[in-house]
Amino acid sequence: MRAAIEAHDSGADVALLSKIHPVRSHSGAAEGGINAALGNASEDDPDKHTFDTVKGSDYLGDQDAIEILCYEAPEDVYQLENWGAVFSRTEDGRIAQRPFGAAGEPRTAYAADITGHVLVHVLYEQVMKRDIPAYEEFFAWKLVVDDDRCQGVIAWDLVNGGLKTIGAKTVVLATGGAGRLYVGTTNAYACTGDGMALALRAGVPLKDMEMMQFHPTTLSPTGILITEGCRGEGAYLLNSEGERFLKDYAPNAMELASRDVISRAEQTEIDEGRGIDGSVLLDLRHLGAERIIERLHGTRELSMTYALIDPIHEPIPVRPGAHYHMGGVDTDVWGQTELTGLYAVGECACVSTHGANRLGGNALMETITYGRRVGQHAADWALTHTTVAVPESQQTDAERELEALLDRSKGERPWAIRDELATTMHENFGVFRREDQMKKQGKIVEKLRERFENVVVEDKGTLFNNDVTQALELGFLLDLAECMIPAGIERKESRGAHARPHDYPDRDDENFLKHTLTRLVDGKVELDWKPVNITKYPPQERTY
Amino acid sequence: MDVALKIWRYDSRTGERKLEEFEVDAPEWACLLDVLDIIKDKHDGTLAYRKSCRMMICGSCGMRMDGRAVLACKERMQPIAEAGHVPVISAMGNLPIVKDLVVDMGPFWNKIRSVKPWLDPGYDEVTEKERIVSQQQMNAIQKESLCIMCGCCVSECNSMEADPAFLGPAALAKGFRFVGDPREGNQVERLVAYNDEHGIWDCTRCYFCNERCPKGVDPRDAIAKLGAESIEQGIDHDMGAKHAKWFVTSAKTTGWLRETELVPKTQGILSAVKQTGFALGLARKGKVPPPFPPHVADRVKEARALHDLVGQQGRGGADGIIQMERALARAEHGEAEGAHRVSPEVTPGVQPPVAEG
Repeated sequence: MRAAIEAHDSGADVALLSKIHPVRSHSGAAEGGINAALGNASEDDPDKHTFDTVKGSDYLGDQDAIEILCYEAPEDVYQLENWGAVFSRTEDGRIAQRPFGAAGEPRTAYAADITGHVLVHVLYEQVMKRDIPAYEEFFAWKLVVDDDRCQGVIAWDLVNGGLKTIGAKTVVLATGGAGRLYVGTTNAYACTGDGMALALRAGVPLKDMEMMQFHPTTLSPTGILITEGCRGEGAYLLNSEGERFLKDYAPNAMELASRDVISRAEQTEIDEGRGIDGSVLLDLRHLGAERIIERLHGTRELSMTYALIDPIHEPIPVRPGAHYHMGGVDTDVWGQTELTGLYAVGECACVSTHGANRLGGNALMETITYGRRVGQHAADWALTHTTVAVPESQQTDAERELEALLDRSKGERPWAIRDELATTMHENFGVFRREDQMKKQGKIVEKLRERFENVVVEDKGTLFNNDVTQALELGFLLDLAECMIPAGIERKESRGAHARPHDYPDRDDENFLKHTLTRLVDGKVELDWKPVNITKYPPQERTY
Repeated sequence: MDVALKIWRYDSRTGERKLEEFEVDAPEWACLLDVLDIIKDKHDGTLAYRKSCRMMICGSCGMRMDGRAVLACKERMQPIAEAGHVPVISAMGNLPIVKDLVVDMGPFWNKIRSVKPWLDPGYDEVTEKERIVSQQQMNAIQKESLCIMCGCCVSECNSMEADPAFLGPAALAKGFRFVGDPREGNQVERLVAYNDEHGIWDCTRCYFCNERCPKGVDPRDAIAKLGAESIEQGIDHDMGAKHAKWFVTSAKTTGWLRETELVPKTQGILSAVKQTGFALGLARKGKVPPPFPPHVADRVKEARALHDLVGQQGRGGADGIIQMERALARAEHGEAEGAHRVSPEVTPGVQPPVAEG
């Protein structure tokens, strides 16, 4: 939506296309906040923000991209405030900022614990103000690529059925993550990596796909996100012995260490028998009822609804869950991909601002700052280039392919494949990774792929048929798993979210200070490497 | 656990409608949405419903359970299954059904759009700094900011059932989100617009929207605040506004509602004259007291004190009105004595300054 607003304001004819209504986007579930060096709570500046982000990324982030983010972020936050975002306020009426994991200063601007919700709605308000048309409940299934240019998308119209081709001089993918690859995830059902898979199938490389972040505080058993804002407000993490176990892992930062560090610490405690039913405890009780109600109202609501626990009186059982894909479509700092006319931004893209580990609060900021940049660039490009007629044959081919799927009546329905994929990814490609497990997972995915080739869709109709789109989503997820696994196996080191304590426990800057690139060549995934851009900050040891 | 459900299936193309029962095995922690997922996966792939976040924030899965609007992801099934109850699941009300549990949200969004749902500060954007607004001022729209646009309130709105053109609880709560925003520059214009036909005074105060909102937005409270604010700004041309005003005046002066004066004060003299015959009939049967001399309540001082107390509450008495209107204050934590949140005064047209430095 941020990209659409900017493209509209740059004079382009723009439309949104989304498989769910824009305000249903999973950005709305982001709770904690948005990082910008406003300096409202301490002396802060974009350089400090840059350094924290570079260090947080375990030096895999591209420093030019991170600098752009950190320098342009404050103005973008002020603009959101001007558009009406309901930020929480300081005593003197400025935008409040709270401490967040691995940030040297309290830098995370927030709206209680519903920051994402507030921002999604303020963006949609601006979309309505500009009367930007939206193709709601259109499921993008294929990119139209012709003449070495991306010229639009072919989408399944959920409400009315049928494939529709929507031509465009530029297409911006902003489809979010692929958390549904994992059984324990904070992600919505909609997070099936559609944009990444679309780009991959169009021959565009994906970058750092092995880098899946596990969020340390997801609610047991459902995986629902409990915000990092809890720890920002001072919550403790306890093991079964009632100890703040982070003293053994991150003695200085404690609960405010980086997400990868805390997830590994939790998993270690759980694996070594100091967990409680596969969880550790997030204790908010000492914060007091008033603070919990004022600043963590949503967290309390979630934990009361889904765990029957009132955090005012009891600690919340939490464990690491798949949360955010640092990897994604390889783009430059304007969101351009290798394919002319195709852009990507947000979680589905990899600029890379997050490297091997994203800091809490940087994702929302990336969607806004890079959303604006991408919108501007895509509009400028569209306004200076001519339209090319979209060849009809592509839709005909797509229709034939879909018909083959819908005509199939004997075979397995997708859900068992989907569940097995998510369970095995969690087991074999989770917080800790081992060579043999990753290889095993590669074989499992291969087998699941074979089963998927014969999958059956039960709903053959054209009226709100999301049975068919759920099958197509599974196809996307399988593609992405096929990229993640070889990238994980070949990165023979431990960096950020990619932890191999058994065979390669250390970071290896000499051999692996570089991005993985995976692309489809003749239907097979090929792995390549790409250097990291380093401007100011040479790699150092990373401790918290 | 074993869970049984009955689901109203519907196909808008054929008009076919049938109630189907399903029995599934679900985990103890399952919500209604999880049960629907199991049905769609293992029993009937053609079942249509919307879902996404499964954590009460995206607003996709509004539907009805036993005739009551709910978010499917919020309703735990264990107590229902254990009680042996078989709930009936159907699509939301007041919106056309597309298929099964999926409604056409088009009319919903059209109403949202009609309240101009974006901040209109009345001056050009300044992006160098934020505006200085206190947390207390921002708290005025805290509840309305929670709205996830799920449509549950609209589904339940009795007034909209009678008058489909009524703006309805979601759009009006969104309206208050801007009227109550200290950064808004067009409060009065907005109030005038929301006072039009099908606007705030069409609300029948049935409280279903407050009761069924899964997020605690309390849309009826927002409508009450818009009403109080309108009268405060002298926007009282609607019969609803006059009616409300006369109630207050009458209670303040005599401690009673003086029905004989209510009709002329609300509908005007001309309309009242036309109804004289009806009024005389009522008087003959002893249904209305004679207008003169005005009947003053014994404890009129108490009524006046109450009036003054309500008037002292935030936003021109709006908060007081809400407290009075609430039949049952929500037993929220720390709100044992009923809603006590006092909203700050916001002066329309006075813009907050831009931060320096």
